[in-house]
Amino acid sequence: MGWRWFHQWGSPRWFYERAARWQLVSGWLALLLLTVGTLWGLGFAPVDYQQGHSYRIIYLHVPVAFLAQALYAAMAVSAVVLFVWKMKLADIGIQAMAQVGLGFTVLALVSGAIWGKPTWGTYWVWDARLTSMLILAFLYLGVIGLRSAIADPDQAGKACAILVLVGVVNLPIIKYSVEWWNTLHQPASLKLTEKPAMPASMWVPLLVNILGYYVAAAYLIFGFMRGLVLHRERRASWVREVIARD
Amino acid sequence: MSVERRLIAREWRLLVAKPGDVFKPMWFLMLVISMVPMALSPDSSLLAEIGSAMIWVATLLALLLNTDHLFRDDFNDGVLEQWLFFNRPLAWLVVLKLLSHWCLYVVPLILVTPVAGLLLSIPANVLLALLITLLIATPALTCFTGLGAALTLGSSRSGMLGVLVMMPLFVPVIILASGVLVRATEGAEVLPLLALLGAFSMASATLVPFAVSAALKLNIGGSN
Repeated sequence: MGWRWFHQWGSPRWFYERAARWQLVSGWLALLLLTVGTLWGLGFAPVDYQQGHSYRIIYLHVPVAFLAQALYAAMAVSAVVLFVWKMKLADIGIQAMAQVGLGFTVLALVSGAIWGKPTWGTYWVWDARLTSMLILAFLYLGVIGLRSAIADPDQAGKACAILVLVGVVNLPIIKYSVEWWNTLHQPASLKLTEKPAMPASMWVPLLVNILGYYVAAAYLIFGFMRGLVLHRERRASWVREVIARD
Repeated sequence: MSVERRLIAREWRLLVAKPGDVFKPMWFLMLVISMVPMALSPDSSLLAEIGSAMIWVATLLALLLNTDHLFRDDFNDGVLEQWLFFNRPLAWLVVLKLLSHWCLYVVPLILVTPVAGLLLSIPANVLLALLITLLIATPALTCFTGLGAALTLGSSRSGMLGVLVMMPLFVPVIILASGVLVRATEGAEVLPLLALLGAFSMASATLVPFAVSAALKLNIGGSN
């Protein structure tokens, strides 16, 4: 019984139709969570005694930064699935997650820069976290670029999976080396302000928003994946049936 | 003659037939280095301060010049497909290919860097550290550029893409090497960092060839 559940994932049509429902559910759930979390965080959470209102960008910045890293890990899991079970859907998942992941990474960098200007007085510093985020953006770009350069979709998918796996092995090394480098070259001139123990009225909305962005990411990924499945299977007869029906 | 001997002898004959491929990166390196004082200032104390970093970056870029042809020519004339018929694991042949590339194309380039160092008036002890870091780090860099070249074989015109894809992975190497150079400038202990750099390089040289051979298999035989 367990295996049957597993093999369903090999069928593009099954996924396409099932994911429509998941997309709907995750879309509404994300809307609800993000509305509650964002209104609560921006309107009702207390003002920070050091940073004033500018700290409120964490309700966007922290969740997208989490996701930027989590999606790379999820991509690596997908790459393993692609190699072990040769599942086409895993390849499509990598493609979708690379695009969504790059979006979140850029959003994290931009929102960090906007917060950095009033707080640090500059848009960019070569802080360890900022630097490894920038490198992460380049890694995502590499996956997307490699995909678009190779014409044969199966070959492109496997090449991307190899790249993702090599990247995920290197990512911790990059992260630690950047942290080490930063302490070597730049002794604490500008650091993220030491986090004061946040009161619950601040971190509960943050938690709601983190959940909200995770669900929103799922919504986006399902959407991308459904589109990609249709495109990849455009010669199959079920696609014609589905399109005629919808 | 064994497969290994033949493979390395072939690389040597290719190099003798086209010696320009060895000299072009050196030429590029010297050109970049001579642009630095013009772009910055001819002040020798300033040059000495940033010179070793400049040489590192210039060498890195010069290394990348040669990488697209690493597998491309062999792919086009069918040599890579012949590799499948050798009674050897593909990853081992990749190791030989990368090793001979390193010996024949990369080491000569590194041997030019002391001249560049003299032009930028880098002190002798830093120059020695520079030379050693380059020798230790380039095996890792060669492996990664080889992976980039192998991954992009499937696209017809993307000499640049392999480089763009692999560059972020150079970060640890550059950071460790610059750490060694900073310490050498200050006269501090450099051995622990060199050991770390060597460990990273050895680990890459052992593991990356497997990824390279998987990438090559996508393009030869198998999928088509």
